[in-house]
Amino acid sequence: MKALLTTTAALACLATGALAQQITVGAANVSSYLDPGRDHSNVGSQFYYNTFDTLIGKNHDSIEADWQPALATEWTMIDPLTMELKLREGVTFQNGEDMTADDVVFSLNRMYQATFPPYQVRSKDRLANFAEAIKVDDYTVQVKVEREEPLWETLLNLQQVMIIPEDYTKALSGDPQVAEDGDFEAFSLAPVGTGPYAVSEFVPGEKVVYTRYDGFWGDKAPLEQATVIRIPETASRITALKTGEADIITNVAPDQLGLIDADANLKTEGSATALFHVMIMNVNHPALEDPRIRRALSLAIDRDTLNEALWYGKAIVPSTHTMAEMGALHQPDLVTFEYDPAEAKRLLDAAGYDGTEITFDTDPVYYTNGLLAAQAIVEMWSEVGVKGRVNTTSTWSGSSPDLMVRNWSNPMYFADPFGSFGVMWAPNGPSEGEGRFNTDAEYAEIWDRFRFSSDVEARKAAYAELMERIKDNPPVLPLYRPYESWAMRKGVNWAPKPGHIPYVLDFRAGSISLADS
Amino acid sequence: MVDVTQTPVERGAIATLWTEANTIQKIAALIGLALVLLAVLAPLIAPFDPLKQSLIARLRPPVGFERHKPGFWLGTDELGRDVLSRSLYGLRLTLMLALLGASIGLLLGGTLGLVAGLRRGWTEDAIMGAVDLQIAVPFTLIALLILSIFGSTLPVMVAVLGIAGWEQYARIVRAEVRRITELPFIEAARASGGPPRYIALTHVLPNIVSPLVVQFTLALSNIVILESTLSFLGLGVQPPTATLGSMVGYGRDYMPTAPWMVIVPALMIILLTFSVQILGDWLRDRADVRLRSR
Repeated sequence: MKALLTTTAALACLATGALAQQITVGAANVSSYLDPGRDHSNVGSQFYYNTFDTLIGKNHDSIEADWQPALATEWTMIDPLTMELKLREGVTFQNGEDMTADDVVFSLNRMYQATFPPYQVRSKDRLANFAEAIKVDDYTVQVKVEREEPLWETLLNLQQVMIIPEDYTKALSGDPQVAEDGDFEAFSLAPVGTGPYAVSEFVPGEKVVYTRYDGFWGDKAPLEQATVIRIPETASRITALKTGEADIITNVAPDQLGLIDADANLKTEGSATALFHVMIMNVNHPALEDPRIRRALSLAIDRDTLNEALWYGKAIVPSTHTMAEMGALHQPDLVTFEYDPAEAKRLLDAAGYDGTEITFDTDPVYYTNGLLAAQAIVEMWSEVGVKGRVNTTSTWSGSSPDLMVRNWSNPMYFADPFGSFGVMWAPNGPSEGEGRFNTDAEYAEIWDRFRFSSDVEARKAAYAELMERIKDNPPVLPLYRPYESWAMRKGVNWAPKPGHIPYVLDFRAGSISLADS
Repeated sequence: MVDVTQTPVERGAIATLWTEANTIQKIAALIGLALVLLAVLAPLIAPFDPLKQSLIARLRPPVGFERHKPGFWLGTDELGRDVLSRSLYGLRLTLMLALLGASIGLLLGGTLGLVAGLRRGWTEDAIMGAVDLQIAVPFTLIALLILSIFGSTLPVMVAVLGIAGWEQYARIVRAEVRRITELPFIEAARASGGPPRYIALTHVLPNIVSPLVVQFTLALSNIVILESTLSFLGLGVQPPTATLGSMVGYGRDYMPTAPWMVIVPALMIILLTFSVQILGDWLRDRADVRLRSR
C-alpha cells in the first residue's frame, strides 16, 4: 500500500512537472497567417522567432549589434558585392528534412527575386539591394548585392529572410518541382522552420500552438508546449490571467498595471518598445497640401503631456525619428519635432486656415491608448483653433485619398534608421506608394546617401538632411515609443528582451523559465 | 374660455391616472419624469462641458473618495472629462435617439400597416413578407451590417434605430385596421361615398392610436437598449460624443480600476428602460379592457 501511494505521489509530481512546462498566452491579436517572409506586422512579429532561424543571429540581451552564428557559422566578404556564408551542418527542419544550401538559396531568393506579390512588397521596401543567393556546395552559399551594402549582417538577420524548407514548401500545392503562389499561401497556414518550437496547431486569427522540437540544433527549448490564444478585450485578458486561464497576457494598458501589480500572484514586465506610435498626415489632401497646416497640426500636440497622462511618463518622446538601438546612427540631438502652440497659431493664420474639419482616423483598439491619444490630440488642436474630429474605423484608411490624419506605427524592423524611418518613408516606399507622401529627386538623392554611404558620419549627415526635409514639410509626427506591458503569474520568468524587434514572444532557452517546473 | 374649460378636465384625467396607478407605476413615472427633466435641462445643470478634457485629472473618483477632484462630483473618465456632465449629455442624446428612432419606426411601420390593412392583395402580401423577413433575421446583425457599410454617423444611427421596430407597428396596425374596417361605421362611411384616404385618416387612424401609443412606449426601451448595445460594441455614436451606451462601452476596460465611469451611465440605462417598460405596460393594461380590471 505504501509503495502504491509513493508511486502515485511520484507520478503526480511528474505530471505536475510536465504540465508546468506548458504555458498559455492571452494575446490581443493573433495573425491570420504565419509566414515570416511576407509579414512585417506588429501582430505577426510576436510569432516567428520561436519557429524560425536566420542565417546570422543576434544577442538579444543587448541593444548593440552583437552578431552571433546561427544557421551560418561564419561569413566573409569575398568581394565588395558578395558575401560567402558557411552553413551549420546537422540542422533539420521540424518536419525532419535536412537543411542544406538548397533550402537557404530557395528561402533567400523567394525574397530577393520575389514573384509572389506579398514577398515583392517586402523585397522592395528593405531587400531591394539584394540580387541573389547562389549555392556553392551543400553547406556554402554566396549572397550577392547590387551595390556595396553597409548593413550586411543586419539584413541577413531579418525576420523576412528566415529559412524555410524548399521541398516541403514546393510540394504544398501544384507542381512539387516549382515554387508557386499557392505553395506560399499554403505554407503560411502550415509553417515549418528550424527553430526550437514547431507550430503544431494554427487556427488563423485565433490560436497558435508551439510544441518543443527535440531535433533543434541549439539549446533545448524550455517549454514542452506554448499556446497563444486571442483574447481581444483587455478586461477579458486580465480576467483570464486572474483565473489561471492564461499564464501571460499581452498588451496591458498602463491604466491596468496597478490592478495587476496589486495582485500578490501576478506581476508585470514592460519596456519602451522599439516602435513609434506616429500621426501621419496626407500631404496630398486638398485641406493639408499647405505644409504650414501640417506643421501647425504637429506643433499643437503636447507629446510630453500625452506621455505623462496616458503612459505615466514611461513612454519615450523623441525629438526626431531615432532610437537608441540604432547605435552609431542614433541622433538624439536632432530636433525635428517640437511643441509650440504659439507657432502653430501663427502658421495657421499665415496659411489662411478656414476652419475646415480635420478628421483623425483611428482603430478603436489596435494601438494601446490609440483612441485616447486621438481624442486628446483633437482637443489639443482645438486649443490652437483647429476644428478636429475623431473618426473611429477598423478599416485601414492610409491608402485612401480622403485620408487627412490618422495614427499608425513605425516599428524598428531592424536596428538602423533604414529599418524604421528608412523603410516607411523611402522614395517609392509604402507611404509614397499609398499616395499620402511625395518625394522628389533631391529627397531621393539624400535618401540614397543615407542608405548606401559606407561612412557612418556621411550616413548621419544625410539622415539629418532628411529630417530637415520632414520638419519643413511634415507627413509624420512620431508621438512616442509606447511603454508596452505584459502581465503574467509570478511563477513565470519572462520579459521582453531589448535586442528584439517589437513584440517578439521569445520562448527560447534563456528567455523563459517557470519557477514551478 | 376654451382653455379654462379644458384644464380641469385634463387635470382630472392625470389625477385619475395617478390615483389608479400602483406604487411601482408611480415610482416608474417619477423616475421617468426626473430623467426627462435631467436630459432636457442638461445644458443648464451640467457643471462642465462634457467634451472638455483634463489629462492631468484622469480617472479621479467621485466625491468622498481619496484623490477626488473638487467639483467633479461623480469623478472623471479616462481623459479627465466630468462623468456627471457626460452622463447628463449622454442621457439627453440617448433619449433623443430613442424618441427619433421610435418615431421613425412608428411612421414607417404605421403607414405600411395601414396600407397593408386597407389595400389587401399583393400589396399586403409584400408588406407582410417584409415584416416576416425582418422578424426572421436578428436585428442586431442587420444593424451591424448597415453601420459597417455606411459608417457610424448620427444620421445613419438614427435611421438604424428607426427601422429597428417598424415591423411591430406594421403588424399591430394591419391587424387593427382589418378589425376596424369590418365594423358598421366604416361600412357606413364607405356607403356614403367616402374615398379610401379619407376613411383611413378620419375613421380608421383615430381608432388605432391607443395600441400605437402602447407600442411606441415599449419600443422606446428596446431602442435605448439597442443604441446602448451598438455603442458598447463601438459601432454607435462616435467618440468623443457621449451616449449612455458608449460610456459603458468605452468604460468597460476600466471597470476594475475606475468603476464610477460605468456605474452612473449603466444605472441611467437601467432606470430609463425600467421606467419606460413599466409605463408601457401600464398604458397597455389601460388600453386593453380585458386587462384593466386585473
